[in-house]
Amino acid sequence: MKRPWRWLIPLAAVPVLALLAYGFRVSPRDIPSPLVGRPAPAFALATLEGAPLSLASHRGKVVVLNFWASWCYPACYEEAPVLERNWRGYRDRGVVVVGVDIQDKREAAQKFVGDLGLTFPIAQDLKGTVSVDYGVYGVPETFFLDRQGRIRVKHVGAVTDDVFRATVDRLLAEAGSP
Amino acid sequence: MTADLGYGMTLVALGLAVYGGVAAGVGARTGRLALVESAQHAALGVFVLVTSCFALLTYAFLTFDFSVRYVATNTNLGTPFYYRITGVWGALEGSIILWTWMLTLYTIILIVRHRVGARELYPWALATMLGILAFFLLVMTVAAPPFQHQFPVPADGRGLNPLLEDTGMITHPVALYLGFTGFTVPFAFAMAALITGRIGDTWLVLTRRWTIVAWYFLSLGLLIGGWWSYHVLGWGGYWAWDPVENAAFMPWLTGTAFLHSVMIQERRRMLRLWNISLVILTFSLTLFGTFLTRSGVIASVHAFTQGSIGVLFLSFLALVVLTALGLVAWRWEVLRSEGELDSVVSRESAFLLNNVLLVAAAFTVFFGTVFPLLSEAVRGVKVSVGAPFFNQVNVPLFLSLVFMMGVGPLLAWRRASLENLKRNFLWPIALGIVAAAAAFALGVRSLLAALTFATTVFVAVTIGLDFTRATRARLRLGESLLPAMGGLLLRHNRRYGGFVVHLGILLIVLGVMGSHAWSVQTETTLHRGETAELAGYRFRFDGLTAVEESNHFKVVGAFTVSNGRVLGVLRPAKKFYPQEQAPIAYVDYRLGLREDLYLVLGDFARDGSQATIKVQVNRLVSWIWIGGVVLTLGALLAILPDRHKSA
Amino acid sequence: MNRRRKFIVGGIVIAGALGYMIYAGVTQSAVYFVTPAELRAAPVPGKAYRLGGMVVPGSLKWEPRSLDLSFTLSDGTATVPVRHKGTPPDLFAEGRGAVLEGSWTGDGYFKASLIMAKHSEEYKAPHDASQAGYRELFKTLRGDGQ
Repeated sequence: MKRPWRWLIPLAAVPVLALLAYGFRVSPRDIPSPLVGRPAPAFALATLEGAPLSLASHRGKVVVLNFWASWCYPACYEEAPVLERNWRGYRDRGVVVVGVDIQDKREAAQKFVGDLGLTFPIAQDLKGTVSVDYGVYGVPETFFLDRQGRIRVKHVGAVTDDVFRATVDRLLAEAGSP
Repeated sequence: MTADLGYGMTLVALGLAVYGGVAAGVGARTGRLALVESAQHAALGVFVLVTSCFALLTYAFLTFDFSVRYVATNTNLGTPFYYRITGVWGALEGSIILWTWMLTLYTIILIVRHRVGARELYPWALATMLGILAFFLLVMTVAAPPFQHQFPVPADGRGLNPLLEDTGMITHPVALYLGFTGFTVPFAFAMAALITGRIGDTWLVLTRRWTIVAWYFLSLGLLIGGWWSYHVLGWGGYWAWDPVENAAFMPWLTGTAFLHSVMIQERRRMLRLWNISLVILTFSLTLFGTFLTRSGVIASVHAFTQGSIGVLFLSFLALVVLTALGLVAWRWEVLRSEGELDSVVSRESAFLLNNVLLVAAAFTVFFGTVFPLLSEAVRGVKVSVGAPFFNQVNVPLFLSLVFMMGVGPLLAWRRASLENLKRNFLWPIALGIVAAAAAFALGVRSLLAALTFATTVFVAVTIGLDFTRATRARLRLGESLLPAMGGLLLRHNRRYGGFVVHLGILLIVLGVMGSHAWSVQTETTLHRGETAELAGYRFRFDGLTAVEESNHFKVVGAFTVSNGRVLGVLRPAKKFYPQEQAPIAYVDYRLGLREDLYLVLGDFARDGSQATIKVQVNRLVSWIWIGGVVLTLGALLAILPDRHKSA
Repeated sequence: MNRRRKFIVGGIVIAGALGYMIYAGVTQSAVYFVTPAELRAAPVPGKAYRLGGMVVPGSLKWEPRSLDLSFTLSDGTATVPVRHKGTPPDLFAEGRGAVLEGSWTGDGYFKASLIMAKHSEEYKAPHDASQAGYRELFKTLRGDGQ
């Protein structure tokens, strides 16, 4: 084989590698929830401190609704600091982070909140109706609601800084009033 | 503390591996033996450190050290002792540490075995091994660290995936990884051969036994995986052409091709380029397999998604492939073979055809596995490719391969004469046809089954004929029967080891054919006391019981089985683990040579008054496992050390 | 040279045969992913599909004696009635996602030959509630005297 042609051999592998790299762009983890695009189911609960917490009172803000539990490790333990950090960063920009604790004992929930220093509103879904309304069947799951109160993104598994900021920035940038 | 210690050791090991790889490479290039020796010491250090990490992690498991995140995720206070040890490699981080540990072990063995005998190649092979080790240690440090803090320290862990609480599932990764990592050594020597330009037979002869051992463990891993799938998962099958299964099957196919083509290079000095390419391909496919399993790029029932690990593996795969192929391009002139094929009808041609068929099968599996990705990238259409595709294309390929198993070993080298053909193949072909006719007479109507049967008998007769003739020759020389046979096996252990392996494959083929062609199943709901019937068996539902175990509880259904006389009671169950989303089915079965009886408990009424069961009668499946045992014996025979070879 | 040409031709023939077999295999057995909306828009009777969506709560009917399972699958936009023979896998339930393999019959429903549900490694299932259900089941069965 003439001298330069043989270098085609390694190059032949490139298309296959590129195809595999393409696979990273399409994530099979995106579970299309039938709730996406629909109005978020309303709820009215009480926070761990006893204050009322209703979804309606946050209309007009971008809502990050996070379902968690103290027995869910390691994922919930990982995302809690992420949520707290971003809550502090975004709270003055019309964003609220709401935590709903499912199927947990009160003491365990309070310990979780205390240990991790969480300051955003957190309530317990004692009757389990909220998690059913949202089709939650594992934790953690996070729903991103726009200012009109519609569910726009459902994220399964621990939320990262990138996911949080990218999604919230996008929803904040949308025009429109409630 | 534990987490810090473990993490620290990993970092040091990474540093040592990098140093060692560089030192060995520089030492090889400049001829400074002191550097190569230093690299050996570094390799020893890596082995000690990784073994300690492994031991530390196991200790953390045994002592319920939930301050280590990996322990908290994969064990809980109820996990039985045995599974606390074996669960160490139950999830991603643990499997990486297992892989890394095996690599270090193989590196040490490489050093001990080849330090003296392979002056030129050894340092470069060592450098390659250490380089690959460095990558896996990097993965252990950055992407999948087994030693991470879990804070706050939970009171109880999550627990091992219940599907892993099974002997098969514990041995399957070990065997599979021994196979995967085993192919690293021939690859390392191939790289050494390319770099030094010594691409003759030396690197092949050195790695011959490595290849057989690696190939054997890969085969074993696949068989155990099939066994596990069959008796645990409850769908009654042993192979689903799932992307993760395919990922392990592809290197097996190319590894088998490699195993055969080295014989041609040894005899006739041909196919050097082909052999180097095959070993590069096989090693790359082992990396690809891990990439596929751990990156989530292709949707699979098995896929365990993780973030950065996929990117790391793909990058490394790209590095390996491009470097190796670049080296091949560099040495292109020297690699082109000296010998030429004399005749189409010769052993070389048969082996070449065998290789072509195996690589074709590997390509088919690869294509089918990545096709969903390709379709989405090119046409934007999401498709899935399932068993029908793989079966449709691969079955003719595999059947031809089985046929070649009978033809290849008996053809003469260079050129087979008509005399040679008649002598070796007349009886086998005749008996093969008789077998097909007999099958037809017995009621077999599937053409495929008849063909398979004929081919299997054909190959078996060729093996038997060869062995009989050789024994008879010895008997004529005055030996008595048993020593003659024994002597034959031992003196030509590679040849007869190969034959025994082929016999094992024949049994597996029979098992696969039987299970596909003649298995039956049914599903039915029974009230207590009611009976169902399938294939001559009758099952009576006797009731449900609840049993509590240390980390789960289970609901067991009792079914009395009879086929004229009472055979026993089968107890399929559903196990409920608190940390799992859904119950795990526990299959009960009765294995037999001719058929297996297989029961899965489905739905049931809470008061135990009725139960839905799935019943299968699977034919000839046990021959797959028996074939695996025979394969083991053959492989063992083949790797025996060479006796004094006279006539 | 002649011999080499023979082998090259042989190689091309084999490659061509393999290519044809693969092509035939893929076009015959590739199964298309669709959502209920996509299926409703252009249903082709007899064609193999993979249908993904959520099981509409309240639509699930399971008849253990005849093994008839029927439910409605939805993606929020459209719904597809589904029928299946046999017990569904353990992860399958109302209000949850499911992926089905099967075909669209001419009679207005999707005949599922396979129902799939995927395990997730990171997920933790709702803890106490389901445990309570199982414990109750356990007690009931234990009290049966078996």
